[in-house]
Amino acid sequence: MIRRGRDACARLLPLVLALASPAAWPVEEWEVSAGTTGVLVEDHRVPLVDVRVEFAAGTWMPWFREAHAEEAFEIQLHDSAGRLRRRADELALSIDLDAGARSSEIRLSCRKDDLRAALGLVREVLANRDFDRGEISRRKAGRRIGWKASLKEPGFVLDQAMARQLFERADPRREPLEKPRPVLADAERLAAARDALVRLPGRVIGFAGDLTLEEARSLASDLLPPASDAALAGLEPALGPITPAAARPTGQALRLPRLTQAYFAYGRESLSFHEADYPASMIADHVLGGHFNSRLMVALRHEGGETYGAAVENGGGHEPGPYALTTFTRLENATATEQKLRAVLARFHAEGITEGERAAAAGSLVGSRSFARQSPGQLLGEYLWERRLGLPHGFKDDLSRSAASLGLDDVNAFIARFYDPALFTMLRLAP
Amino acid sequence: MRPLAAVPPLVLAVAAAAADPAGGYVSTTLPNGLRVSILRDPAHPIVATQLWVHVGSANEEPETRGFAHLFEHLMFGGTAENPSRSYWDLHERHGGANNAFTSFDETVYVSEIPPAGFEEVLALEADRMVNLALNREDLDNEKRIVTEELRLRTENDPMSRLFTLALRRILGDHPYSLSPTGTKEDIAAATLEHAREFYARYYRPRNGHLVIVGPVDPAATLAVVTREFGPLPADGVTPADVPALDGWTFPPETELEEDLPPIEVAILGFPLPPADAPDHFALRVVLECLAGGERDPIEDHLVRERRKALFAGAETFALRRGGGVVLFSVSLPYRRKATAFRLLDETRRHLASFEWLDEARLAAAKRKLEAGELRQAYWAGSRAYAVGRAAWWQGDERLAFDAAERISQVSLGEARSTFTKYVLEPEPIRLYLRAEHVPLFVRLFGWLYPLVHR
Repeated sequence: MIRRGRDACARLLPLVLALASPAAWPVEEWEVSAGTTGVLVEDHRVPLVDVRVEFAAGTWMPWFREAHAEEAFEIQLHDSAGRLRRRADELALSIDLDAGARSSEIRLSCRKDDLRAALGLVREVLANRDFDRGEISRRKAGRRIGWKASLKEPGFVLDQAMARQLFERADPRREPLEKPRPVLADAERLAAARDALVRLPGRVIGFAGDLTLEEARSLASDLLPPASDAALAGLEPALGPITPAAARPTGQALRLPRLTQAYFAYGRESLSFHEADYPASMIADHVLGGHFNSRLMVALRHEGGETYGAAVENGGGHEPGPYALTTFTRLENATATEQKLRAVLARFHAEGITEGERAAAAGSLVGSRSFARQSPGQLLGEYLWERRLGLPHGFKDDLSRSAASLGLDDVNAFIARFYDPALFTMLRLAP
Repeated sequence: MRPLAAVPPLVLAVAAAAADPAGGYVSTTLPNGLRVSILRDPAHPIVATQLWVHVGSANEEPETRGFAHLFEHLMFGGTAENPSRSYWDLHERHGGANNAFTSFDETVYVSEIPPAGFEEVLALEADRMVNLALNREDLDNEKRIVTEELRLRTENDPMSRLFTLALRRILGDHPYSLSPTGTKEDIAAATLEHAREFYARYYRPRNGHLVIVGPVDPAATLAVVTREFGPLPADGVTPADVPALDGWTFPPETELEEDLPPIEVAILGFPLPPADAPDHFALRVVLECLAGGERDPIEDHLVRERRKALFAGAETFALRRGGGVVLFSVSLPYRRKATAFRLLDETRRHLASFEWLDEARLAAAKRKLEAGELRQAYWAGSRAYAVGRAAWWQGDERLAFDAAERISQVSLGEARSTFTKYVLEPEPIRLYLRAEHVPLFVRLFGWLYPLVHR
């Protein structure tokens, strides 16, 4: 009744590859004005529109941090009388202001017939200089409380330790895992930072949903103030070098009171997806710890019930990030589980994967791209991500196809290079 | 307000087809008792299949505590025809995803897969519904795994520990008082004999609902469903309803300590009626007005106007046999409990003025809820969940399609009277949460805070 085996994978792959063609992506792009681009993903299934207004600086950039642009960007929805948020409620909007690593973004969703008024609200938010001082104070307190709460989370403690192994203190990849800087309370300075941020060239106004190109062009035309042509220093991410494996300890014991489990992260630095080996790493990571029947899950969950979960966590992307094999187990089983975790990696490194595993991973990586095509907002998000990083359209599809086209020898040669246990550090967290 | 007639043709077609099995929607019951709903939507790139088994942690007997969740795990084991991991391997080959979740009221098996793999999902789902090879080795292994899950999710997370403890202390003997994960003692006590009884009783067609949404032909898909599920035996029991939350007796006040950051939280809780109550949609609308917007009337009053708390607001939750709304305030650890409750009571009385709930706010909240209903059209999994939940929680799966219309019919008077009935009139359940350890300098800062923060 059920087709099984690797032959099925081989038969399915051409079909899956065909279904995953990026040709189905209806994305329009145009120049709104100097320094501003418009993007539309048109989809008329329901009368809804997602809007993403992206500004060209984020938390990894020195200027952004020195100017306190993160809190400046996020506070601007809060005027002292609460008028802007009241207006958002009147328009039935979901609205978020979020400072990311390389860009800052206003995101909103609304019904199509509220869109013009919603964009009017965006203009008002970007012009607001009457920041709510009480909200600034609450954010200060909120950061302190959130930080204290984070220090009780096993995952946070391990992530922090791994980042400290890999990156220098000033590296922005460590920033979210270190004690937060004080919130700037000077409303004038915050407003100046926000004004400088929203005028930076490289802005994108993105629409997804029930909108024609003509409508989108009209709505985008007067949404933002003119872009500035004044140059700002410190707009490149200030990433430092990664600590070489030889300079990292082979292990570290961490403590957190009251835990009833031991938590492990067996890690090193990841690849970036610009590296030639990245497609091979997609196959290898999938087999090692990317699905329910991965090597890690079979060894640590299915065969012995050591754990509930074991996986590969890859924090890399446009640049290398932390990479770790993670799991957890009951305290009395900690030593045995650590040994199994080490053994899984050692065997993976020594023997590589089988053709059956390669073929199944290839089918999964390509077929799962269907999940990224369900809503126009997803398509817009991925397009903006590609654009922000200077990647060609369809980059993730291309990566998956490249990975799927690799032969077994290519993947195993990569495994022999990357998964050497001597390059990994074992972090162990226990009470 | 956008009238329903302006909703795109696709959505209207769905609503109409609920009464017309020849169209894009089929809802039927197989002779063996399995309920089947199939919704065609060619715009989806994947097919979502959900098998709702109408047993959750609230339906467990003393000797089967923790079984609903344990079974969620065991169901990924093998049968005589399809060995362990077949279900996962199928999804792996096609790039699909599958999972399951156990709630207080149900256990749901979820598959999302490109259309090429969909029929095989149905075959495997039917096979494991009655042919699971339950053995001691698998049971013992899953007991170890589930215990690790429990340690991860509950024991080693302060907020989860607090939630689990609060459930037990506040709900007492109510079946909702026990977390779906069960306890370590429950899991350790699970026997193969009880597992087989549980499976034979609940994992059968009469206690199931199969929901399929995606680019499928309903008639052809029903034929496949009939081929795969039709031969299954016509048995299975649906557990009796657990008591409704709004008729339960709760302790008037509970105080708990946990390993929290240095804060204290005062909570007023109010039970809500079952999901099939006549005022369900009025409650949804009024709770959206209260807790769903950028501005929160509780925060506005207690934090922004009176400056008596650091954070404040309202949260809601929903289960099949009732839900709840809680009003909360968060303070630094210097306020006396009695003062914190007095301030929160004053805010509740302030809500009785209904300054926060006028025609304009009502209309906006309804529009936002309607937009949420429309947004489901993008996600096959969301639509399948909506159908399964409407059928099980409310006894009428058509509510998955006409919720927007029912929301639009809620009047201001209805919203206000519903809020009065469930939040303003009843005596609240009081819960106070404290941090176990508060450094002295934090207490000192807390005493000074109101003097300098004007």
